[in-house]
Amino acid sequence: MAYAYLFKYIIIGDTGVGKSCLLLQFTDKRFQPVHDLTIGVEFGARMITIDGKQIKLQIWDTAGQESFRSITRSYYRGAAGALLVYDITRRDTFNHLTTWLEDARQHSNSNMVIMLIGNKSDLESRREVKKEEGEAFAREHGLIFMETSAKTASNVEEAFINTAKEIYEKIQEGVFDINNEANGIKIGPQHPTTNSTLSSSQGGQQAGGGCC
Amino acid sequence: MNFFRGVMGGQATGPQPTGAETIQKLCDRVASSTLLEDRRDAVRALKSLSKKYRMEVGTQAMDHLIHILQTDRSDSEILGYALDTLYYIICNDEEEEQDENSQKQADDLGIKFTEQFIQDPEHVTLLLSLLEEFDFHVRWPGVKLLTALLKNQGVQVQGVILVSPMGVSRLMDLLADSREVIRNDGLLLLQQLTKGNASIQKIVAFENAFERLLDIISEEGSSDGGIVVEDCLLLLLNLLKNNSSNQNFFKEGSYIQRMKPWFEVGDDNSGWSAQKVTNLHLMLQLVRVMVSPVNSPGATSSCQKSMYQCGLLQQLCTILMATGVPADILTETINTVSEVIRGSQINQDYFASVNAPSNPPRPAIVVLLMSMVNERQPFVLRCAVLYCFQCFLYKNQKGQGEIVATLLPSTIDANSISAGQLLCGGLFSVDSLSNWCAAVALAHALQDNLTQKEQLLRVQLATSLGKPPVSLLQQCTNILSQGSKVQTRVGLLMLLCTWISNCPIAVTHFLHNQENVPFLTAQISENLGEDERLVQGLCALLLGICICYNDNSLENYTREKLKQLIEKRIGKENFVEKLCFINKHELYSRAAQKPQPVFPSPEQMLFDHEFTKLVKDLEGVITKTVHKSSEEEKKEEEVKKTLEQHDNIVTQYKELIREQDSQLQELKEQVATLSSQNEQMQTTVTQQLAQIQQHKDQYNILKLKIGKDNQSQSGSQGDGSQVNGLQTEELTQLKEELEELRQQHALLQTQLADKDAIVNTLVRNLCQKKPVTQIMFNCLL
Repeated sequence: MAYAYLFKYIIIGDTGVGKSCLLLQFTDKRFQPVHDLTIGVEFGARMITIDGKQIKLQIWDTAGQESFRSITRSYYRGAAGALLVYDITRRDTFNHLTTWLEDARQHSNSNMVIMLIGNKSDLESRREVKKEEGEAFAREHGLIFMETSAKTASNVEEAFINTAKEIYEKIQEGVFDINNEANGIKIGPQHPTTNSTLSSSQGGQQAGGGCC
Repeated sequence: MNFFRGVMGGQATGPQPTGAETIQKLCDRVASSTLLEDRRDAVRALKSLSKKYRMEVGTQAMDHLIHILQTDRSDSEILGYALDTLYYIICNDEEEEQDENSQKQADDLGIKFTEQFIQDPEHVTLLLSLLEEFDFHVRWPGVKLLTALLKNQGVQVQGVILVSPMGVSRLMDLLADSREVIRNDGLLLLQQLTKGNASIQKIVAFENAFERLLDIISEEGSSDGGIVVEDCLLLLLNLLKNNSSNQNFFKEGSYIQRMKPWFEVGDDNSGWSAQKVTNLHLMLQLVRVMVSPVNSPGATSSCQKSMYQCGLLQQLCTILMATGVPADILTETINTVSEVIRGSQINQDYFASVNAPSNPPRPAIVVLLMSMVNERQPFVLRCAVLYCFQCFLYKNQKGQGEIVATLLPSTIDANSISAGQLLCGGLFSVDSLSNWCAAVALAHALQDNLTQKEQLLRVQLATSLGKPPVSLLQQCTNILSQGSKVQTRVGLLMLLCTWISNCPIAVTHFLHNQENVPFLTAQISENLGEDERLVQGLCALLLGICICYNDNSLENYTREKLKQLIEKRIGKENFVEKLCFINKHELYSRAAQKPQPVFPSPEQMLFDHEFTKLVKDLEGVITKTVHKSSEEEKKEEEVKKTLEQHDNIVTQYKELIREQDSQLQELKEQVATLSSQNEQMQTTVTQQLAQIQQHKDQYNILKLKIGKDNQSQSGSQGDGSQVNGLQTEELTQLKEELEELRQQHALLQTQLADKDAIVNTLVRNLCQKKPVTQIMFNCLL
């Protein structure tokens, strides 16, 4: 299928926070309550539309376990977006965010868009991390923030799409070097490269309005 | 200084130093010399000695060389010499024309030095960082050295590279190197790197390997390209084989579409170079990896779909029908088409519509089947055609119907060769391989398809002139009993087993021939040689199927009678033992592994994959059935019946409850309407009562008035009578009205009583129904 842009994402965060479930909900629109431990890295893909443009998302879902950490690091550099996920019912997964963020910042390209996600928002009764805490952390580190539920699908689409919008905006602003595929962005086969200035003003406004 | 010049110059006075001594001296210089030029010279000298004195250089100089790599980073020349030297002592490929023994020694040496080198993982990381050096003299030997290390101790080196951040992506950058030698050697390095390591394969794919490799392939001229294309294809195979995540990525990245141009071959295909044949072979293999029957069904079917949509399948079919294509490419193309269509209705339909460019045009299926039953065709090609036919029929009821239809009297077309004719011809030819292939092919037209099993019973064959036609089933059993080759009989028995299993009508047809059961019994009970064991096993299976799918319509061969026959004539144990000959056969498990019929030699062509599934399903059932005594079976039958009865009772009650439920609902509605009606009536009655009271009051007042008038106006009688007259009229009127109202009131009261009675009965009904329903539920529980 033809697409205007292709973005590479990675999903990172502690084991058991629901990374694979978020991906499954996004790509297959279903929830699997019992999920096998991810070994290494698994791949998923979906097409979305932003600003009337088809955008292909290629997503690499990484294993959260410590033993795979060195493998998953290899994926940071080539990704345009990262979903950093914690579990709102497990305080420790929130506490580890700093480590994850350091790791990501160290190995990724500086323009990578990071979306902070507090998953399992359906389990309100077992909540250990307040929404305000997540918001504060995101503000402090310059991330976008959202609470999601892979189980009820609440905010899942938005999380992936808003990240894409942010990347798209950065492209329009000229922050990303779209000709270097190592940044995790690829221009589609039929994309007219000449009129990028034309679409930038429109795109920037639209994406800005839809975000947050 | 002096003695060193002597060594290098070869003009030393006195006794010539041994290799080891020289190397030791050079090592000392490498270690102790403060001048870069001196160290460089010494390393260069070591390099020149490293082929002849591999053992010595390796043992004595390795640490020094590594040290150079660590400390002399600024001088690319010395780095290059050191890397070259390390490469020579570690690499095993260079030795040519050696006998096996010394090659083994060399290999051992390489492995030993590799182990020594990677003992400290930092050395591998060091090597990785050196590859960032752009200088050709560093990068090229670096690539070769790392490749050699991977070849000798793949798993360990892979482990180190995997955990060093950016390790893999740095190596991927080699593919972008403008110097062709480095890019090509980079390909070889990546081949070694990705061997058997799924994690590395995924990272390499993540680093855009597919894109780059496909670009290189098309730049180099696709199948017409040289060995670089071959190397790219081998690397692609490494990345995709058994790696579902990468396969998914490949598909999602729309790379399947980019494979299509690979198969655009011209009209004249003679004189293909060996390289082109190799390239095409690998390209076909890549297609097969994406649609392999061992992949998850969902993944395979979505790849099959895009292969049809982008025209790849159509392109492959063109090769299939093209002239001059080398036999092994043709064979592999048939195998590839097979897997692209297997179980995919759209692709199977397309394949059925492909015509060969002959005059008149014939369906490709017919042309292929001609090769399958042709003794002169190569064995592997015939196997491939069989596979293709099987894949065409796999989960394809429509296709199965079309094939069987070509044999039915009503639809037969005498003017052209049909698939059915070819299969029958193969079935009864003198070539046992054709017999086997045709039997298995026909069995696949019946697989899981009751309709076609029954349809095929209608097929009649004309034998010799003047004799009545014989049914296909009959002809199969006839040939079976004539004692032909094992391969023929195994094929026919597999066909018969597939045919009559799960089809009671076919079982009856089979048993109807009085000779069949005695033949099977004789085959099973006899004590035959090793060669006949498989046939015996298959006969037992066939007889077992006759028992399991028997509808008892033939009095002589009921289920019970056949079981008694086994008990008396063969013996239960003996029967079961013979049955087990099938799966104990050495070739059985091989066939059970994968659908493609692959046999090392034509004689070993005995089992079909789908048939092994049938055996797996039936074996246990038949053994159980045979072992069960008739009493047990009766008991089971009874239990089954009682269970069925219970089920019936339950269903009945369920029905009843459902009925009563709806009744209840109806009655409830009635009650509701009646109650509302009742309420309305009540209000009317109250209103009317009030009216009556009013009238009564008026009447009383009037009465009193009249009384008063009579008293006060007794004088004026005339007037009074007039007035009175008027009053009397009024009075009668009022009386009448009152009477009427009274009647109405009475009527309403009776109506009210009636309604009350109805309501009461309904309420009572309701109360009765409820406990009844309750009781029924209790019963069911």
